[in-house]
Amino acid sequence: MFSLSSAYITLEVKLGLKVTGRCALTFKRVSGTFFYQMEQDIRQFLDNLKPEFDLTWRIITDAYGYMWIVFEGKRIEDLLAGLTTVSDIVEEKGFSDQLLAAVFEFSSDREVGTGRGASQQYLIYNYKRNNFYPFVPVGQKTIDAEQQMKIMATIAEEIPFERDMTLWYPLWDIPLRSLG
Amino acid sequence: MFTKKQPWQKRDAGLTARMIISFAVLTILYIVFLSVLAYAGVGAIAIAIIAGILILAQWYFSDKIVLWSTGAKIVSRAQFPELHDLVERIVARNNLSKPRIAVINTRMPNAFATGKTPKSSIVAVTIGLMDQLDPEELEGVIAHELAHIKNRDVLVLTLASLFSMIAWYLMRFGMYGAMFGGHGRRDNQGGAAMLLILVIAIVTWIASFLIIRAISRYREYVADRDGALITGKPSKLASALLKISGTMKRIPTRDLREVEGMNAFFIIPAISGDALTNLFSTHPPVAQRVKKLMEMEAAMS
Repeated sequence: MFSLSSAYITLEVKLGLKVTGRCALTFKRVSGTFFYQMEQDIRQFLDNLKPEFDLTWRIITDAYGYMWIVFEGKRIEDLLAGLTTVSDIVEEKGFSDQLLAAVFEFSSDREVGTGRGASQQYLIYNYKRNNFYPFVPVGQKTIDAEQQMKIMATIAEEIPFERDMTLWYPLWDIPLRSLG
Repeated sequence: MFTKKQPWQKRDAGLTARMIISFAVLTILYIVFLSVLAYAGVGAIAIAIIAGILILAQWYFSDKIVLWSTGAKIVSRAQFPELHDLVERIVARNNLSKPRIAVINTRMPNAFATGKTPKSSIVAVTIGLMDQLDPEELEGVIAHELAHIKNRDVLVLTLASLFSMIAWYLMRFGMYGAMFGGHGRRDNQGGAAMLLILVIAIVTWIASFLIIRAISRYREYVADRDGALITGKPSKLASALLKISGTMKRIPTRDLREVEGMNAFFIIPAISGDALTNLFSTHPPVAQRVKKLMEMEAAMS
């Protein structure tokens, strides 16, 4: 996942995509004390992290029952460090099967291919496949496939990338901007 | 014969199949005809001359054969004014000669160019292509076909396939020779020589078959590049390719959180026979072409 710490520059130079400083890790909530204990560990880690890193965080649970650890920060290195440490905790506690995805938000200063206006664009890291794919939602439950292809063409060589487009599953309503 | 140019044959099996069947039937007719001649005792040199004439005739009538086998009809300006305008705009801007325009009445989006010389060439598009693409994408596809014409790809591939054809004829006659020849004289030398010719012919044929496909794929990339230079909009051709190949439709809309339960689904590695199909196909994979076009787009912007 750390390959993103250089690939984001390519996205900015070639496609005008800027990191917004928002990213998140999401995994499936399960009931039980072990999961509860893990959640406490994560919170404790994040509380202690605060002074060292330029990061803010919050925890959200969505309608699907997925827990989202949402980070905001100025430096991509800090975002990646926060994200991978939390995913390490999840894996250490034996919940690696619950890990779903990490998402990174970008915004564009150029008009998106379809001309329907630029909004947020994402790179999704799929933990089941260990690779990235693009997600460019436009309006209600539609995607900008052309822009997604552009993103693939731009950085597929630099980062582990999902070349099978039939696995580019969207994550509608990513709660990066909503308040927990 | 490689008198056909089809950018997206992978998706449109129908159009390709019709062309292949037409040319295959013709070829079988040749073989039968030449075999009859050989059986009737006509000399090898005479047969070679007749085969040569047949190949030339096929070359000469290739346009008509292609039009007939695809069901493409030459259309006038009065019938398709917008299509004519679009082609004229591109050729005028780029100092190309205007090809004849043909339309195929099918929902399948596809296009091809054919013709022995740039002046006598034909660009054919299907009704489905005009329906599904927006004007800029259609312009991209037609520019790609015009690039094929400008680069004389029909000629290049026909010359390349000449080798293959000669090897094929040699192979056939070598086989007949091995089977029926040498009845009168029972010397093994003749049989061994026949066998050697046969083996060489087979190897040549297989090699030329693969080389032709490699050349063809390369010409596609060149036509993509030149077509994109003609319009100045590589991403429009790329999005046309994605639409035509149905790639756009294959991107799922179901949420990752909904399909996550089908865990096994994710564990299966993406198996692809890509390397093998690449070797045999005349067109490069759409993803690869789109990638190159998008790189062009990035370099131009």
